[in-house]
Amino acid sequence: MNGTLLVIEDNEQNFYMMRFLLEKHGFTIIGAENGRLGIEMALRHKPRAILLDIQLPEMDGYAVAAELKKHDELADIPIIAVTSYAMVGDREQILTAGATGYIEKPINPETFVDEIIHYLPDKERGEIR
Amino acid sequence: MAKNRPVNQTINHKTTRSGRPAHTLIFTLLLLCTNILPAAAGDKTVIVGLYENPPKIFTDASGKPSGIFIDIIENIAKKENWKLHYVSGTWSDGLNRLEKGEIDLMPDVAYTATRAEIFEFHKIPVLSSWYNVYAPRGNRIKSILDLDEKRILVLERSVQQEAFARLSKGFGLNISLIPIADYNTMFTMVAAGEADAAITNRFYGIMNAKKFGLEDTAVIFEPSDLFFASAKGDPKHLLKTIDGHLAVLKKDTQSAYYSSIKRWTAEEVRFNVPSWLKISVLIISVILLTSLAGSFVLKHHLNLRTRELQTALQQFTNIVEFLPDATFVVDQDNKIIAWNQACEAMTGVKKEMLLGKGDFAYAEPFFGERRPILIDLLNLPEKEIEETYKYIQRKGDRLYAESYIPRLRGGQGAHLWGVAAPLYDHNGRRCGAIETVRDVTEQKQMEEALRASEREYRELMMLANSIILRWSRDGKITFLNEFGLRFFGYTEAEIIGRHVVGTIVPENETTGRDLRQLIEEICTNPKKYERNINENMLSNGESVWIDWTNKAVLDDTGRMKEVLSIGSDITDRKQAEEQIRRLNDDLRRHAEILEQRVNERTAELAAAMEKAQAADRIKSAFLATMSHELRTPLNSIIGFTGIMLQGLAGPMNEEQNKQLTMVQNSSRHLLSLINDVLDISKIEAGQLDLSMSSFDLRESIEKMVKLVSPLAERKGIDLKIDNPEDISTIITDQRRIEQIIINLLNNAIKFTEKGQVCVTCLNKNDLYLLSVSDTGIGIQPDKIPELFQPFHQIDTGLSRKHEGTGLGLSICKKLLDMMGGTIEVKSIWGQGSTFTISIPKQPGGLS
Repeated sequence: MNGTLLVIEDNEQNFYMMRFLLEKHGFTIIGAENGRLGIEMALRHKPRAILLDIQLPEMDGYAVAAELKKHDELADIPIIAVTSYAMVGDREQILTAGATGYIEKPINPETFVDEIIHYLPDKERGEIR
Repeated sequence: MAKNRPVNQTINHKTTRSGRPAHTLIFTLLLLCTNILPAAAGDKTVIVGLYENPPKIFTDASGKPSGIFIDIIENIAKKENWKLHYVSGTWSDGLNRLEKGEIDLMPDVAYTATRAEIFEFHKIPVLSSWYNVYAPRGNRIKSILDLDEKRILVLERSVQQEAFARLSKGFGLNISLIPIADYNTMFTMVAAGEADAAITNRFYGIMNAKKFGLEDTAVIFEPSDLFFASAKGDPKHLLKTIDGHLAVLKKDTQSAYYSSIKRWTAEEVRFNVPSWLKISVLIISVILLTSLAGSFVLKHHLNLRTRELQTALQQFTNIVEFLPDATFVVDQDNKIIAWNQACEAMTGVKKEMLLGKGDFAYAEPFFGERRPILIDLLNLPEKEIEETYKYIQRKGDRLYAESYIPRLRGGQGAHLWGVAAPLYDHNGRRCGAIETVRDVTEQKQMEEALRASEREYRELMMLANSIILRWSRDGKITFLNEFGLRFFGYTEAEIIGRHVVGTIVPENETTGRDLRQLIEEICTNPKKYERNINENMLSNGESVWIDWTNKAVLDDTGRMKEVLSIGSDITDRKQAEEQIRRLNDDLRRHAEILEQRVNERTAELAAAMEKAQAADRIKSAFLATMSHELRTPLNSIIGFTGIMLQGLAGPMNEEQNKQLTMVQNSSRHLLSLINDVLDISKIEAGQLDLSMSSFDLRESIEKMVKLVSPLAERKGIDLKIDNPEDISTIITDQRRIEQIIINLLNNAIKFTEKGQVCVTCLNKNDLYLLSVSDTGIGIQPDKIPELFQPFHQIDTGLSRKHEGTGLGLSICKKLLDMMGGTIEVKSIWGQGSTFTISIPKQPGGLS
């Protein structure tokens, strides 16, 4: 059930909170503080899922998602956007760029992990919402 | 006299036949009279043509009409009470007269198609005849071929003339066919050797050939039926009567018809009588003949004289008839002796009604009464005529007068021009007078029309409110009408004969155009300048503009003689045009300035808009940044507070738990504040876009009710839902609708301390109506208008006991506006409120 999740997030406190919550549920967390590094790590570690912030320095989340999707070996890895962009269209834009799911910040610590698990493909639910 | 007794002529005929020569003279005189003068009154008069063609028709030795046709027509006349009147002449004369209607019947006419076009025929033939060629006895003519190179006589204008010409031509014969006026002459000529043969009908031949030492040849042709012919249309209705009698006559072999034929064609019957009788008869005959000889000689002279007179009268009548003008002649007793056809045509009165009448009878057809007319004034002394009748002109012994007679031309009146002249006999004695009258009505009318048209033309030219000008090829004015003279300020004497340039046309136009040259061009080609506007000048030098129509006036040979120019003063129009042109120029200038200003202003606005758009972009960027930047720290606050309260970071005591819960509530409130501010900013900047999708409204309502139910439960408020089956699919922004519903539910629960909150939904046409009612504190009526303003939370007097941003209802209203929906509220202060929203089932509110 457990596995490695890649969290691409430049805000240290947010990264800490997500790692805390996810490790409590037994996931192994690897992190990247910018998009370029995130892509490298994704290619190297092939994580079970990638949690992606949108507001990143240099290369933003949309570009990162689009880049990740170019690699066939990463095609089955769900990308879950975790973002504080709450404008209309943000959700559609990131889903178009290649994300599988979308979680709005601020996160609800009571439901956050369940929402992540929900997006993982090897649960029997199979389909992607 | 017995009632049915035939008139004089028939009596005469009978008495002659009875062989009483002593009376013949008297009766012949009677005959003469009746021939000249028609019956005064009574039964139908029939004028019959008479010509010489014995035995069918001829004048016998006593000058009386005789023959088969005469016997028959006299038989019919007797029964019908017709008065017969004979007009003798040649065959050709007879046909001409019949054609002209001068005679009613022409006997002995063979039917041909050509004749049937001119004449009318009855149906039962009187006789059947054919033509025979007669030649001197001992001739060797066995067939028509033997007639080649021969001179043959034929009756002029007869059927046989045509027929024989056709016949000989068919055989290719060269025969000289000589037309002769009567048979008698023909036989005489052949007998004298002046011609080789003669063509006559069989009747004439049988009777006369032997007498001239001629005999019939083997050449016989053109069998034909002979009839009486009348003028076309049978104006006197004679033909049917003739047919009726012929039918009866031909049935009975003892009838007058057969006895006539027998009499005129049969050979003489010879008797064997005793010699004593012969001697007695001889002696008696000698005595008789001797006694009769004298009267025969007398009778012969009288006949000759009578015929001469008849011919002279006939010629005279013919001359008068020939005259194209209405003409009548009176004798010395003022009795009418001629009344020609033109007279009949003009007055409608036939000559038969007038001939022989005196006592001013000729005036009646013209004036409707008997009175003296022009012809009667011939007897007045010259002086009296000059004094009394000023309208009468006199030249020599002739009188001329013009008069208007209202009765004529069918009551329309006629202008007549008449001449009367006396007639003198060879001794120079007055023997009558003649008057000729000509209808000059049309001539008069034409003269009048011409005068009227000339008058109109003159009036038109002189009085027209246009300038009418004529000028010669060398530019000299030949005519200028009254209006033109007044207009230009000249008298006729001052302007006629002067050149147009320098008088009414200036040398140059103010526009610079050379008008002398223009005038020359108009002279050369008026057609090109048919319509021309140019400047002119008045005698006082004032300039005017005239619109001219120019037309060439041609002489009899078709060469241009003059130019006719008709002009209207358009100076005012020209000035108005100039004014309009100036105004237009001003307008154009102003328009240009205006356009420039508009362009400048547009540029300014574009710049301003650019600025505004830049500001908008900055605002959007600011909003996006704010959204992110505010949420990021909140993310930590809310996240870690949650983790702590969950006990994931280790156990806490009750007080820590209580205080951390307060942090959590405050941070949630802060989050909702941020969300609302962002929403309202986005809406106001027009940056909030709706995301349309189709979904089940029922489900959304139930979901939202479920979300707020823990809150209601905690406050002990009854949360009811009335969500009927017919609430289903809607196309709109699901997230925003749900945001509105939850906002209304939160408000209702928030402001209600006890009682209930009820959600009701209705399906209404194109809309869904959703109401949320509560039993809460309600809203004061004067506060209701402020309810949907942003940043407004009604002051409840409890000093913000109820948390909230005050933006919720304002956002709801703005979202519903965008969706095409509405929101309204009904509330009773202290009792509760009902918020009702309407949402279209489809965008644009269309079903």
